[in-house]
Amino acid sequence: MKFKEGIKEKNIIIKCGADTFLPFSLMFALYVILTAPVGGGFQGGVLGAAAVLLLYLGYGYDVTKNSINPEILRINEACATTIYALLGFAGLVFGANFCRNVFYANGWLTGFVHDGTIGLMDYAVGYNVMTGVGFLLILMLGFLAPVEEAKKAEKKEDEK
Amino acid sequence: MKRILTLLALGAILVCGIYAVSYAFENIPDAYDEHLDVVALEENPTEYDVTGADGVADIIVAQNLERTGAENNVAAVVFDFRGFDTLGESFILITSVVGSFVILSKVKKEEKEDAA
Repeated sequence: MKFKEGIKEKNIIIKCGADTFLPFSLMFALYVILTAPVGGGFQGGVLGAAAVLLLYLGYGYDVTKNSINPEILRINEACATTIYALLGFAGLVFGANFCRNVFYANGWLTGFVHDGTIGLMDYAVGYNVMTGVGFLLILMLGFLAPVEEAKKAEKKEDEK
Repeated sequence: MKRILTLLALGAILVCGIYAVSYAFENIPDAYDEHLDVVALEENPTEYDVTGADGVADIIVAQNLERTGAENNVAAVVFDFRGFDTLGESFILITSVVGSFVILSKVKKEEKEDAA
């Protein structure tokens, strides 16, 4: 009970910690995702989604929901899955089986995607996991919010 | 009685574990199998001797990069050979998002109606 009240009061230490670690955690998540040939899409996405938890710990549920729109996250997650499926179909288009690596070192786009579609698929998975897990975290944290709303409603009724 | 039975079962498991560890320790394979015959494996994969240290794994690792054009073996397996697996993983995420969105938003609406 005391712990919940502490979160509600937004302790200055937790707030400063969230402020300090948020940019570094986001940078680290982008670093893990963008080193594509190693294949760190899922892990980097989860690291990026942990930013939602830091925001919640520092500033509470209302600020989290206002600063990160869950609807946009939901739409982006569907877009990322579609991008992955389309990149898989690129193998079919160029005469191989599903998810076959194409575009590698054959003169076209080789400077940009030197690892073929595998790197782009890794980016798509990172995008997918970052938005999907972030949306799930916001929804789960919404479970804690009705308690606070009910308390506020009780206080208003008492005042009346 | 129950305690004695539990102790007996745990003792049996311990004896079996010690025997298994000692048996595995006697048969440690070599670090690297240098006598690989790639041609024989390609011609008759079912009868090839794979009891060596790494078996077919050596050949697979050596030929993965040539066949896929990737730079990393893990990425080659995850996004090329097992691409369907990764697609299913993202579908798991999307179904969990949609399911929790449907269920949790319904709960919130009901609570708000009750409060009103």
